[in-house]
Amino acid sequence: MTAISEAQPAAHAPRRRSVLARLKGNWLQFIMLPVALLWMSPLIWIVLTSLKTKAEVFDPEAGFLPQALNFANYPATLAVAPFGTYLINSIIVTGSILAAQLVTITLAAYAFARLEFPLKRLLFSLFLLQVMFPIYAIFLTNFITLREFGLINTLPAMIVPFVASGYGTFMLRQSFRQVPQELSDAARLDGCGHFGILWHVFLPLVQPTLIAFGIISVVTHWNDYMWPLLVTNSDNVRTLPIGLGLLAKSDSGADWTRLMAGTVIVVSPLLLAFVIFQRRFIDSFMHTGVK
Amino acid sequence: MATVILQNVCKSYGNRKTVHDVNLTIEDKEFMVLVGPSGCGKSTTLRMVAGLEDITAGRLTIDGRDVTDAPPQQRDIAMVFQSYALYPHMTAYRNMAFGLLKTTRLSKAEIDGRIREAAEILHITDLLDRRPKELSGGERQRVAIGRALVRKPKVFLFDEPLSNLDAKLRNRMRGELKRLHRELGLTVIYVTHDQIEAMTLGSRVAMMSKGELQQVGVPMDVYMRPANTFVATFIGSPEMALLPCRADAGGVLGHDGFAAGVALGGTELPSDVILGVRPEEVSFSRTAGMARGQVERSELIGAEALVEVALGEDRITVRSAVADAPEPGEQVGLDFDLARVRLFHAGTGQAIDRQG
Amino acid sequence: MSLNVARARRNEALLAYAFLFPSLVFLAVFTYWPILRSIWFSLHDVVLGDPEIFWLGAENYLRLLDDGLFWKVFANTALYTLITIPLAILVALLLAVALDSKLRGIGLYRSAFFYPVMIPSVAAGMVWVFLYAPGYGPINEALTFLGLPRLDWLYSSKWALPAIMLMSIWKYSGYFMLILLAALKLVPSDLYEAARLDGVSAPQRLIHITVPLISPTLYFVIVIGLLHSYQIFDYVYVMTQGGPADATNVLTFYIYQNGFQYQDIGYASTLANTLLVFVLGLIGLVSVTLGRRVHYLGER
Repeated sequence: MTAISEAQPAAHAPRRRSVLARLKGNWLQFIMLPVALLWMSPLIWIVLTSLKTKAEVFDPEAGFLPQALNFANYPATLAVAPFGTYLINSIIVTGSILAAQLVTITLAAYAFARLEFPLKRLLFSLFLLQVMFPIYAIFLTNFITLREFGLINTLPAMIVPFVASGYGTFMLRQSFRQVPQELSDAARLDGCGHFGILWHVFLPLVQPTLIAFGIISVVTHWNDYMWPLLVTNSDNVRTLPIGLGLLAKSDSGADWTRLMAGTVIVVSPLLLAFVIFQRRFIDSFMHTGVK
Repeated sequence: MATVILQNVCKSYGNRKTVHDVNLTIEDKEFMVLVGPSGCGKSTTLRMVAGLEDITAGRLTIDGRDVTDAPPQQRDIAMVFQSYALYPHMTAYRNMAFGLLKTTRLSKAEIDGRIREAAEILHITDLLDRRPKELSGGERQRVAIGRALVRKPKVFLFDEPLSNLDAKLRNRMRGELKRLHRELGLTVIYVTHDQIEAMTLGSRVAMMSKGELQQVGVPMDVYMRPANTFVATFIGSPEMALLPCRADAGGVLGHDGFAAGVALGGTELPSDVILGVRPEEVSFSRTAGMARGQVERSELIGAEALVEVALGEDRITVRSAVADAPEPGEQVGLDFDLARVRLFHAGTGQAIDRQG
Repeated sequence: MSLNVARARRNEALLAYAFLFPSLVFLAVFTYWPILRSIWFSLHDVVLGDPEIFWLGAENYLRLLDDGLFWKVFANTALYTLITIPLAILVALLLAVALDSKLRGIGLYRSAFFYPVMIPSVAAGMVWVFLYAPGYGPINEALTFLGLPRLDWLYSSKWALPAIMLMSIWKYSGYFMLILLAALKLVPSDLYEAARLDGVSAPQRLIHITVPLISPTLYFVIVIGLLHSYQIFDYVYVMTQGGPADATNVLTFYIYQNGFQYQDIGYASTLANTLLVFVLGLIGLVSVTLGRRVHYLGER
């Protein structure tokens, strides 16, 4: 009975939409589709070029599509540089930064959201200050500091400057503040201390924020080029973006087909994750305190 | 179960005092309702008993043990919150088990036993696997009560637990709470701003206003013999009419609208008093009546009518049969039930005890 | 009793400091200390790897004022920031408004506009070098197809900076769009309905209702945008190395050149401090001019 009565309005709804509304929907499609294609075109070019032969790229007579699917560029690219090592380094660096950040921002955000202490406002502005500082204004000095620590050309050199995050602390604090006071009261009555409340109540409830922050952090550091470039100089500690940069500068000149194949290899882990988790990804992102 | 004693309990935030010297004893198995308008300090008082707020000054004992500074989990209390405060990411079962896992050394089987038992009492056995999101307001309420029940605490604290429910459900849950209290012999401190809840649920009620305790007593007693004009108007709906009068030595009250003599039983009256009359203590007179006034408004609410009559500058509400209700604009005579009406000091608002 | 309250309060403060400690250590070493040090460096003659340091006083700053290239670089930076960020936000706003409707395939559209954010800047830079290639690049092919003249793009001192701007808009609009989209979802729909009943046209609704209501987010996006605009370093490094003839040399790249290529830490620090002042000044300017006008729907 209920199933029938619920199904009916759903079946009628599309028909009830006025002709005007449908026309308007299509009208928007006519504009948005070309714009979206324009936005996609660089990616399409990357993939197509990676499948072409070198001659095709420079041949003005050659068509838009590769004449034959030529996958040879991929193994050829992998042979240019130790991409396996780069991949592992990228994973270690990005993963360590994220793990360390989650610890530091969770603790700091909890203190700012739920604890009272002297100098709270001053300390909070110090955290916010870090958000405002362009890393490019301090990379030189940080490089010197790391050199004094003897960390240049090591994996930690790419990790330690990013362990604390003013931005993450700010985001998480906003979310923590939205957790109802009564929930933490209930947890206190249930015998939780501050750590218990943090672990059992706050962290499970702010998952969307943690995911959104995780995305921002991973994308930023997975793709970071400048800093790894400055602090590394040997293959065994370099990351994927550096490898990509090496391809561009290979002695044979701009080898576009290999370069595009390399780009596909570097870009695909994130893009693949994005396509698979697209909904979750964007929902988390939109759900978060960036209002 | 246990007796809770608050001795001179105070709360202040900086220089602002929100609870003044509360002295209150909640007897074992008693259902004590703290009632008052919002901001009167009743919730703060409850939260001090729970240990969620520091007690600025004073002493709190539960079952003879001084717990003034004890953390919440050591007070042997459980609390039901206004928003229920169920953990959204846990099932009903986990919500109920969580506190037991944290604060007791009970085995899994014992915890399960307690939860099943409480679920049975509350009729939520089928809902244990659901998360709060999948429960209705009333069901969440039951889970929240269940979470308190399984703890088998000495004292149950309720902070406006029914205010998020619709009127019908609130009625039903009121009956349910009464049944639980009776059947399980619980000691309860219950905070509400709703005087009907206070009247129907409380073994005793404690009226609070502006951080101070106004009156503590059995509900009907508070209704019949309010300690001051604040309590008099807060309890009872429609509220009691307060008519400022001049009194002479013989116990005759003078008012713009009337003059009436009241039995004094030897009490001396001040020259300015306030006459407090509940709607059921006044009736339309077939003769001239003690007082005459003009009908302002007449509301038929089904079984009866509430008629507002202007007496000089003042207004008085009369509860009458629908058939007897006069039209607005009519001149009517009123009779007061002089044995039941009460007097207050005009200056202080304190009740005047006519029995001496 | 109040003694216990005081103790509880002290314990809470101690716990808070313990919670802040890990963050503060790293912030101190890698954010606050470098700034202080950078100021100190800027007052000295410091050469990378050379332990000998000489006091210069304000000399580095005077040199800066006399450095023609600095002014060019500064102008490039300001031009890039002041054109790219507003344009990217405008594009993002239009995209967000378009996607805030019941469009079919909304998920695909969101992905199509957001994916550039996730492409490493070095990869994006290289791809666009290819797209901009004067001889065989698809963009010039497209221009020819449309009957427009072909351009030298990155090889032209006139078009190199605009080329990087164009690509930046492609790269960042999706990010801003997503943030704005989240804000648009919170605008109560009855406001639009009321406006439609009043006969307000769609563009007017955008200007008079949407923009004011999401202004806190727009403000946020502007600040985020300013901070992101310094990533131009990566593109300059990959695409042009500041050329041709310093047409695309920007402050971040100039700092790098002085510090790492010429090893002149003192002067590079002077430039870095200038960048810092420039950024903080811009943010301050934004908050003074726009921050006050922001309409807050909620409390924040």
